[in-house]
Amino acid sequence: MQSIRFILYEPSFLIRKGLITVIDKIANSKLIAQADNEEELTELLNQEDADILIVNETAFESKEIVKQLKHLSGVQIISLTMHKHSKITDYAVTDTVNIEDTQKIILKKINTLISNNISKKNIEKKPDEISNREADILKYIALGFSNKEIADKLFLSAHTVVTHRKNITRKLGIKTVPGLTIYAIINKIIDINDTGKLNPDSHK
Amino acid sequence: MIITKETKMADVIHMNYFSLSVLNRFGIELGFGDKSVQEVCIQKNVDTDFFLEIINAFVNKDYFPKKHLQSFSVKLIADYLEKTHAYYQEEKVPEIESLIKEMVTGCYTQKKNIVLLENFFDEYKIELLNHTKREEDVVFPYAIAIEDAYNNKKYDSHINALMETYSMDIFKHEHDNIEEKLFDLKNIIIKYLPQPKDSRLCNKLLFELFFLEQDINDHSRIEDKVLVPKVREMEKVIKEQFTK
Repeated sequence: MQSIRFILYEPSFLIRKGLITVIDKIANSKLIAQADNEEELTELLNQEDADILIVNETAFESKEIVKQLKHLSGVQIISLTMHKHSKITDYAVTDTVNIEDTQKIILKKINTLISNNISKKNIEKKPDEISNREADILKYIALGFSNKEIADKLFLSAHTVVTHRKNITRKLGIKTVPGLTIYAIINKIIDINDTGKLNPDSHK
Repeated sequence: MIITKETKMADVIHMNYFSLSVLNRFGIELGFGDKSVQEVCIQKNVDTDFFLEIINAFVNKDYFPKKHLQSFSVKLIADYLEKTHAYYQEEKVPEIESLIKEMVTGCYTQKKNIVLLENFFDEYKIELLNHTKREEDVVFPYAIAIEDAYNNKKYDSHINALMETYSMDIFKHEHDNIEEKLFDLKNIIIKYLPQPKDSRLCNKLLFELFFLEQDINDHSRIEDKVLVPKVREMEKVIKEQFTK
């Protein structure tokens, strides 16, 4: 089970702390970032990859942020509403949580959303196993080949190689080339003698 | 709990023993009896307010009065950051190295794999060294020069030339992923390394890696949230003078 990654946007300190307490009670949840202003949120959304985004949209001041939310993909958005009958802005909100909801209701809403939209996807992904194709690519990465060289060798586009690389890193939890090389050796994807010189200049 | 100048120094450590490493950097040794933070700081010739900001930010991640910390001089902040560099190089890194060495000599079944870890950490060490050296040789002197020009309103050709060769934006750009290799190393040990017979050493190593990572994160936080915005603000003012 991969953890469910949350990003939280709420200017009020007390409400934010309250939400964090609730998120903590969700199985495998992980709050990866929180923001109390739009600027920070924009930056976070560009950097981080979340499963669920909880936003207090009444706090939005610019149209830019709404535009950014509209273009997000693969993220479930929960809108935090301050009034019982708030109007929802027209970006893709999956559910709403009201400030007056009890903890039980909030947990139920988020858990339903997770089981309907996220768990299945995560199970399909089989997080930790890398595919044969990925193992092929990992082999060449560990041997010090560049994306372009790997693409040529395997008759793939450079773009496809980059996508595979991202998936390998996500599945293994290893980001650097030397790290991937050790993994490849331990798992006998390559032999230690193949590496010859581990050229530090070839690191990305 | 927020630490104040009246807090007993002994309680600071009881609260969070990680703060030992910060005390270390300020040259504060144990054995302070019932003395308060302020008393110890005065005795050791440490700026009390600055110590308080650093220690509070260190033990409590939510505590970050950016504005207040920014009132300290760049020089003071840079001095502290340099001390953390020395702490990594002179204490933490050698500790980790000797643990790995001990693992290599003590293990027969997994020797090959542990040697891989050893090489990996060697590479990381060089990276860390280059990183800190770059900060000490380029970034900090630059930041201090900017502060000097700003404080003394020295808007001359010298500072203009300096600002053309370097900037906080360049720093922000080049300043990243020093933590990536540590992260990888931790994950390799936790998830993939076939466990050597003596798991005691392996656990110890992992503990040290987590410790170092946390400290480096704290260090980067001070750079990114305090030093960079502070110097950027000054850069802006100086640039405005030139365009006038």
